[in-house]
This record gives sequence, C-alpha cells and structure tokens, in this order.
Amino acid sequence: MKVTDKLDKLLYKVKNPVRYIGNEWNMVKKEWAEDKIKVALAFPDLYEIGMSHLGLKLLYHLLNEEEDIICERTYAPWLDMEALLREEGIPLFSLENKKAITEFDVFGFTLQYEMSYTNIINMLDLAGLPLYSKDRDETYPLVIGGGSIVFNPEPIAPFFDLFYIGEAENGIVDLVKKYQELKDRKFKKDEILLELNQTPGVYVPGLYEPVYDEEGRIKSINPKYPGVKKKISRQVVSNLDQAYYPTKMIMPYMDTVHDRAVIEIARGCTRGCRFCAAGISYRPVRERSKETIIRLADEILENTGYDEVSLTSLSTMDYSAVADLVKTMARRYEEDRISISLPSLRVDRFSVNLAREVQRVRKTGLTFAPEAGSQRLRDVINKGVQDEDLYDAVRAAFEEGWSTIKLYFMIGLPTENQEDIAGIVELAKKVLEIGEEVRKKSARSRKKIQVNISVSTFKPKPFTPFQWVEMCSKEEIEEKQEYLKDKLRGKGLSFSWNDPDLSLLEGVFARGDRRLARVLESAWRKGARFDGWGESFAIDIWEAAFRENQLEMAAYHRARDLEEILPWDHINMGVSKKFLKEEYKAALAGRLTEDCRQAGCTGCAICFELETKLELYRGDSNVN
Amino acid sequence: MVIAMLIRAEFEKLEEIKYISHLELMTTFRRAFRRAKLPLAYSKGFNPHIQLALAQPLKVGMVGWKEYFDLQLNQEMEIKDFISLVNQELPPGLKINKAVSIAEDSKALMATINTARYIFSMVFKQENIAEEDLLNRFLAEEEIRVRRERVKKGDIEINIRPMIQRAQIIGPGKWLFQVESGSERNLRPEEISRALADFSPDVAYVPIVNIVREGLYVKVKEELYSPLDEKIVGR
Repeated sequence: MKVTDKLDKLLYKVKNPVRYIGNEWNMVKKEWAEDKIKVALAFPDLYEIGMSHLGLKLLYHLLNEEEDIICERTYAPWLDMEALLREEGIPLFSLENKKAITEFDVFGFTLQYEMSYTNIINMLDLAGLPLYSKDRDETYPLVIGGGSIVFNPEPIAPFFDLFYIGEAENGIVDLVKKYQELKDRKFKKDEILLELNQTPGVYVPGLYEPVYDEEGRIKSINPKYPGVKKKISRQVVSNLDQAYYPTKMIMPYMDTVHDRAVIEIARGCTRGCRFCAAGISYRPVRERSKETIIRLADEILENTGYDEVSLTSLSTMDYSAVADLVKTMARRYEEDRISISLPSLRVDRFSVNLAREVQRVRKTGLTFAPEAGSQRLRDVINKGVQDEDLYDAVRAAFEEGWSTIKLYFMIGLPTENQEDIAGIVELAKKVLEIGEEVRKKSARSRKKIQVNISVSTFKPKPFTPFQWVEMCSKEEIEEKQEYLKDKLRGKGLSFSWNDPDLSLLEGVFARGDRRLARVLESAWRKGARFDGWGESFAIDIWEAAFRENQLEMAAYHRARDLEEILPWDHINMGVSKKFLKEEYKAALAGRLTEDCRQAGCTGCAICFELETKLELYRGDSNVN
Repeated sequence: MVIAMLIRAEFEKLEEIKYISHLELMTTFRRAFRRAKLPLAYSKGFNPHIQLALAQPLKVGMVGWKEYFDLQLNQEMEIKDFISLVNQELPPGLKINKAVSIAEDSKALMATINTARYIFSMVFKQENIAEEDLLNRFLAEEEIRVRRERVKKGDIEINIRPMIQRAQIIGPGKWLFQVESGSERNLRPEEISRALADFSPDVAYVPIVNIVREGLYVKVKEELYSPLDEKIVGR
C-alpha cells in the first residue's frame, strides 16, 4: 500500500492533520523521475514552526529552480503522529510526493535550536536510517546539516555525514550535484566524503578526531588524514542585493507563527551585543536596496495574496533607509489593504513612531528588549540602551494607543549582582507608572495598562565574547526567579520565565563536544522528543542519560580557560579569537564597543578573514 | 462600504484538502480572491475584513461536494469571469462549480440552509449483511438516543430520529442520510455513526473520512432546493 492511501485513512486520528498533507499553494511538486537528484529538506520541529522559517523556504525554492533536482519537505511528527507511523509501519515521508526518505539522495536538516536534537535522531530512525554516519553506506541518503547553530555542531556530529557551514545559497546546488556525480561514478561513501570535504564550507566531522585529556578537555581536534583542510570557513553571500530570493513562496494552510509575506531586507547585525551568537555569525551587515525590496514585495504579494508584509532582519530598525522604505511601502500598498509589520523594535521613540505610522492594525502589544536591568550591566553586555531611551519609547507607545508592553530581559549574565536584578523590577514598575500616567491624562476611556516581563536565562554561546564564562547554577537561577516572582506581582504586571532545567540543558549543548552524541542517543531511547516544548520535556530522562554515559552536565557549564582548545575551534567563523578576548575584557571593565557601521572597523576581522565587506544601502530612489 | 454585487457560489472540497479546518478554508479563499484581484468589498474600521460568509462548517476530514459561500464585491463582474479567475487561484481539491448573483438583501446562507445529505461508506463487522433490512429496522425505531457532545456545557442525550428526514441505500455499503442541518436543528453525522454502531453489533463506527457531505439544501415543504436556486435567491 502506498503511503498516501494508508495516510488518508489514518490522519483523522491525529491532532492537526493539516501538518502532514502538503498541497499548499506554491508547493513545488515535480514528477518523480529516476534521473533526478532528490533532496529531502527536514525541519526537526513541528510543521508550523518549520513553515515559519525563512531559510528552509529559501533553500527549498532555490533547489527546485534546478531542473534536475527535486526538493521536497518533511517535518517532525508530533507524538501522536509518531505513534501512528510506528504502529502502521509507515516511514517518515515527504509532503510533496509522499515518498519515503530512503528514496531520496540527500536528507538535509536545518539546525535552529539545540533542543531539537532528539527530534533529528527520531527522524533518522523514523526514516529507517542507521543513526550514525559510520553505519550508513552510500546506499543511504547523504545526511547533511546547516543553519544558525551549525557553528558548534559537535554534539550531533556523529549522526551527520557533513555540515555546511554558513550561508548555503551559493554552495548548496553545486554540493548536491557534486555528490550525485560522485555517486554515479560509483564512489564509496568514504571516498565521497573525502571529495566533498574539499568544497569550501563543507565540514565532514568523521574526518576529524577530537582527543580529550583526563578531565575531558579537548587536547586536539585534528584531521585524520593528510590533505584534509585544518579549518572549515563559514560561507558568506556577497552582494545580497542580487542574491536569490524566492517570490513564489509556499504558504501554509495552517495558521503559523509568521504567516505573512516575509522580505529579508538585510542580513547581519553589527551592534555587537556580547551575549549574541547571531550578532557574530551573520556578520557583516549586508542590506538589500530599497528598489530590490519593493520589487520582491510586489512579486511575493502578487503570488501569495498575503495582506501583510514583514520586513525582517536581525535589526530592522537599523536598515539604512528604514523610514523611507517603510513609508514608501505603506503608501504603495495602502489601497490593497496590505499592512507593513516590523518584527523587532529598537528601544527608542523613533521606532515607535515608525511603527505607529505603518501598522494600521494595533496588534496586542509592543516588545522592547533592554536585556538587563541596570546601566552597569547593559554596558557589560554592550547593549547601548539608556533607561531614558526605554522610558521615552514606552511613553510614545502608550501615547500612540498601545496598552500592552512586553519587556524582555535576561538573568545569569556575567558579573550580574542583586542590584541588576532589582533593576529589572524598577524598570518594569516605572514603565507601568508611565502607562498609568498617560492613561489618566487621555481624554477617551482606555484599556488598562499591562506590562509583561519576560525573563530568560543567559546561556554562554560559542563565538561570542562570553564563550568562556561559567553558566549560572540552578540554585542561582531559581533564587533570581523567586525574587522576581515575588516582586513582579500586582495589577498590570505579569512575569514569565523559563524552566531552569531546560536552560541548563541548552547551555550544555550550546558549548558541548562530540561525547554528547551518546547522551543524545540515550535520552532519545528513553523517550526524549520535542524537548523545547514544556509538555514533553522531562529532566529525569536527561539526568539518567548523562549518568549512563558517565558525563556530567555541570562539567559543560564550567568557565573555560582562555587558552583552552574549544570544541568548535576548527570552525572558522571569521571572527578572530583575539577580538573575542578583547571584547570579554572590555565587558568586565564595563567598556562599550561601538557599531562598526558608524564608528569604523572595530577589528572583529570577519570582513578580512572571509573576504567580504559591509554592504550598506546608500541610494536614493524614486520608486513609490 | 459599497456593495455592487453579492455572489453566491457552490464549491467542492475534496480529498486533497479535506483536512483543513473551517477557519483555514476562509483564509485560503481570502488569499485566492486577492491573488485573483477580485474587486473585494471590505468592512469599515481599523482592521477591514472582506465580506465572506460560508455555510455550515464541514467537519475536518470530510469531503463536501456541494458547499456554499456568499461574497460581496464592490464592482460588478461577469459570473463566468468570477468562476474562472478564482478557480485558477485555488489549490487542488478546491473548486467553484457554480455561482449566481443574488439580491443584496438575500437571507444569509446559514439562515437559509436547513438540510444536509451525507453518504456513509459503511463498515460492517460481518459479511453478507442484509443492508436493506438493517436500515429499515434502524428507521423503524421511534426513538434513537445518542450522546451529544457539547463544549463547555457538558454532554446531553438527545433523540435523533426526528432529525432524520429519510435514508436510503444507494449502492452496496453506501447509505445516504438526509437530515436536518441548520441554525435551528442540526444533526451531526458522527451522531448517526454512533447511533448505527449502538444499534447493531454488525455495524462498526463509521469514521469521518468515510462520510461525504453530498450537499446542503433548502427544504421548502417537501421539496429540496439548491441555495442557488431561483426560488431561493429570487433573482
């Protein structure tokens, strides 16, 4: 029986069957033909999360532009669907032609979040593949990974044949075709991998061997064979303005997180917040031109029928001509009742004013991220925000009619003390006070003011100036959360926080090494799935998995020596270690580092190392 | 808001798309209309909406052959253009088959439709079932009591027999039920399934995917009319 026939009779039994049916508008379903190269792209989380992810859509359409490539999608089945698949003996399948993954040549995962690692293992298993790369020969699909956390892929390295480090749109097509060619020439798996490893950006973990000392620190990570490159350099797209961007974008039936037209207006951020991994790993900043953005928006809106456009990037408000762009677009699409949305606001009045001008629909609220509660600590993390900026921004927001403000903070940052935590409370209460004041003055009767304070726990991330610091202990996290729970009560305030166990586990895998693969496998065997989803996360499974493999979580939370070899040292992010060390020292001294886009080069070395440069939009144009 | 035209359309929702919900279906239509560049009429206010009204929701997983919506336009257009423009923009499994322009003050679909016909693909636990006899005995019951599930309000037990207008076997294992389906009284197909399974040990519960909503109708006296019929829309 074909997958489709079986499915048809079963899907009504699961929650949200629409996750598994495909057939979306703009889906690319090609005729299944022997001579085509077949690529299955996997997102190791639920459909609705995966369908909100721009990177995967971009690669999906890019690969399908090639006539000799068939690219299809698959997502992690929710627990009920997994049970059904196992019970009925249906393998993991693609949404387009409903083909088993084993019928594909390449099985590619996007890695976005450490807590989806068990889903990757589960999907390999549901697909009927041996879990470890070493146990799969060339008759199995090539398992590859890429994405935003691929910069330390070590904990999952043994499951993958290769990783693509960096932005894949320039290299993925060639990589896939090269692979097919080698396979056609009857190369064996190890020969194939040795060949592919020569491709820039390709990292074949099996060709590198970490050696540990008695304490579990890495003594060396060296290539196993002569001729294998020592370091793998991150790939960066130059001339983003001319780079591929899909305009016949696939659109889900299901209401997903970002169900709207999405235009990536820029890539990268140079603000230099010291906790932020994306701030380093997407450098340098590259902006699309206003003309290109409007052309893309026109086409996407035409092809999708969306009535909302989101201008996305790591920091949209920093786009060089943001006000001009946003106003032009608002005017251009007004008649078609298309609204413009700005995904992230900077903490200032300018951002609020711009949001007011274009956001016809007053969404539930506005979010600001001061990140830390005191000026001292914000200087440590290089978040250039003053208390007054925040007060100014929220006053503007309340005056413009918003009644709910969400404030985003972190606890557990390096050097944090009680005053910094108390500062969070103070800021939040002051914001509420400003809201009440504005509300009382207002002539009309207004909804009551609500301030939601969301506090996450800081995790040290690879390739940041904080990659060496110790992660906060569970006791400390709980103590801080208890304090905030106690102080952030009362009318108009609400406080939310993360499960400390989950944060600590994320902290383990963020800076983890290859030995953790065995822990992942154990946890998966004990039933770990969707660990990022509170309802299915169970810390005791993980504790048992660590015990079983004689590893300790705490060992991964420790401070690293500045001179120690880190598990990700063979990945060349482009950033110099010297720069990160200097930034770390500057942090401890509370010294700010300016944005290179205004202040000139700050010496991170990325442009030099990766032979790229800032691409800022300077032009004026008459597109209206 | 200018309403230049009110269109009533009959569409089908088939296998490929039977798992999308009522709300998702509305969104799918809205986006298709926008792609088709229809002269849509919007509501006033801060957050304008198109004026699309669908008939009784179809259960997720069920195919519908004759489903209906009303849509307001702010400009006149040819019905055949409307159908072909929209059909070009609809995903597989969704298709408009007929449409008419109706009077602006026509009664809303939800208030007009009062009858539905379902075709059950029966599941028997035995072979060689005397289907005719079984159905006749079922219909001969004076009372057929089933549990009605109600969100929030708690389940109750109801008698569904009066809501079954007629039933007939249209092929081996294919049973057609004509039932009340409207804002006043509404019999849910899964209640028929439950009643059948309760009634006879030979009949298994018929899952949603085995049921097709053949059509929605307006019953006037003993006659069934399509919601597009002249007698109903008066134009």
